[in-house]
Amino acid sequence: MFLFLQTTLNGLVLGGLYSLAAVGFSLIFGVLGIVNLTHGIFVVAGAFGALVLYNEFGLDPLLAMLPVGIVLFAVGYIYQRTVIHWAISRASLVASLVVTFGVAMIGRNLMQLTFGPDAHSITPSYSFSSLTFGPLQIDVVRVVALGASLVLLLLLALVLAKTHFGRAVRATAQQPLAAELSGLNVQRLHGLTFGISAALAGASGAIIGIVQPFTPASEVAWTLNAFIVVVLGGIGSPAGALVGGILLGLINAYTAQYIGPSLTQAAMFLVLVLMLLLRPNGLLGNAFGESR
Amino acid sequence: MNRSLAIIAALAALIVIAVLPLWMPPFYTRVVQLFFFSAALATAWNILGGYTGYWSFGHTVFIGIGAFASAHLVTHLGPFGSGPWSMVVPVLLSGLICGLFAAILAYPILRLRGIYFAIAMLGVGQVVGELVTNISWFQGGVGVFLAAPVPQGMPPEQFFYYLFAGLLILCLAVSFWVRHSRFGYALLAIREDEDTAMMLGVATERYKIAAFVMSAVLVGLLGAVYGYTVGYFTTSSVFRLDFSLNMIVFCLIGGIGTLFGPVIGTAVMLLLTQVLLSGFLDIHLLITGVIVVAIILIMPGGILGALRPKRRASASKAEPAAKVQS
Repeated sequence: MFLFLQTTLNGLVLGGLYSLAAVGFSLIFGVLGIVNLTHGIFVVAGAFGALVLYNEFGLDPLLAMLPVGIVLFAVGYIYQRTVIHWAISRASLVASLVVTFGVAMIGRNLMQLTFGPDAHSITPSYSFSSLTFGPLQIDVVRVVALGASLVLLLLLALVLAKTHFGRAVRATAQQPLAAELSGLNVQRLHGLTFGISAALAGASGAIIGIVQPFTPASEVAWTLNAFIVVVLGGIGSPAGALVGGILLGLINAYTAQYIGPSLTQAAMFLVLVLMLLLRPNGLLGNAFGESR
Repeated sequence: MNRSLAIIAALAALIVIAVLPLWMPPFYTRVVQLFFFSAALATAWNILGGYTGYWSFGHTVFIGIGAFASAHLVTHLGPFGSGPWSMVVPVLLSGLICGLFAAILAYPILRLRGIYFAIAMLGVGQVVGELVTNISWFQGGVGVFLAAPVPQGMPPEQFFYYLFAGLLILCLAVSFWVRHSRFGYALLAIREDEDTAMMLGVATERYKIAAFVMSAVLVGLLGAVYGYTVGYFTTSSVFRLDFSLNMIVFCLIGGIGTLFGPVIGTAVMLLLTQVLLSGFLDIHLLITGVIVVAIILIMPGGILGALRPKRRASASKAEPAAKVQS
């Protein structure tokens, strides 16, 4: 029983991270309709950014989320307005899959050249302390990571639901043409959506850096995780990302504990394939309705 | 091109392929052998991905199953005769096993379209690979042996050169037949607009399954022979993500959905990566990425698509499967 509770707790914490890492992917998928295979690059780039800031200036990774996010916002915005936009307008939507994959290869290679292929991790002063609740134990970094994830997800949900910008993004996702006819600048909104997604991915990378080791090559895993989270939870909403992320975290933790740590990937993909067959829109469905 | 000219060109190509290894140094025989193998894979992928519009991101699963099936067939039921002919039975049976696996898999997985199908196949590749590693009977973790019965007095690279040349011709023949048959037109109709095709009375479900199985059998045969060329392999040496991705990239560069596109794309990419840039291993990924992005942006129809401007209009709308399901 105790083991089960501890495993559940670990799964929930892991799930919070998965949610934050995936929410940007989900937003791009929902609003622009493209699968961004560069997403993992944003996550790992965020982690490396936080690492550099921590090593050079001693900046805490949680504070590093802000500069990292701003830089990645700019990168994401420019990336969408140039490469992604060209690919979609000249070729097709599936071609965007290949283009983002190509860019991911470039990004991974550049990071390998800059930082080397070895695993890195960020170790702030609080990395080795832990909290205890009765028999249960949890690292402080993990609590902090979970908290930061939830706060950012909540912020995004509020922005999407309450602000003018959020309404414009949702309108663009539902009916790009109608949104344009109503005077919204759809191109710019697509760019901004991409920027925000990249920024959130970078921020999640900064948090992931203190919880797990990362290498340039781990971008593949983060892209796939994001995809699984979206398929499990549903497209386009922070709530869907949260549900999917926590489910994925739990599946991961239970498989590692009760079946075998080498089978976690197989279990994740098995759930992914089953989910695609049974309910391809995820548990919470597509946040942007039936119109797409 | 008129028919007799095409036949003469094909015969000339055959003769060149036949005599080439007698002159070439072994290294280049190996490179050309790799070219035949990759081009055949891309051609087999193209039957499903190019003609039907279902982009599989996990076709390496059939290479893996083919290779492991022949290794286990030879270990547990073999030997099937002696000399080079002993390869025939295990290789054919492995192709059959891949076909069976694909037929079973096809029913659920071909209900998915576009991006969802692509990622589900990626998942299938990963899951099967991990199962082969972790279920001890398959010995994917420790590896299996598959000795190549090379005929006496013949260098192994020459033997496999001819084998892969034969398989490439087989794949091209199947691809040619598909392209010019009623079956192929049905596949193209599915690619252009599956719902309309279904409405017009094309048995989309059956045709898709047939294309999937056909592609899987060809890749399975190639995988089995590949197993023989390496002699000893583990899961990670045959269930390789880069195999899956190369098939897509080669087709894309040459011209997706064309007969010779995959072959041309393979030739261009292998020439670039294996011969011209073989000294820059650490930026291999970067260069491949740049080429992929540049091809999509500059010539979305691939090399063949760019050569035939009138195909451009239809090529740019070639993948309606991209529509997000809702």
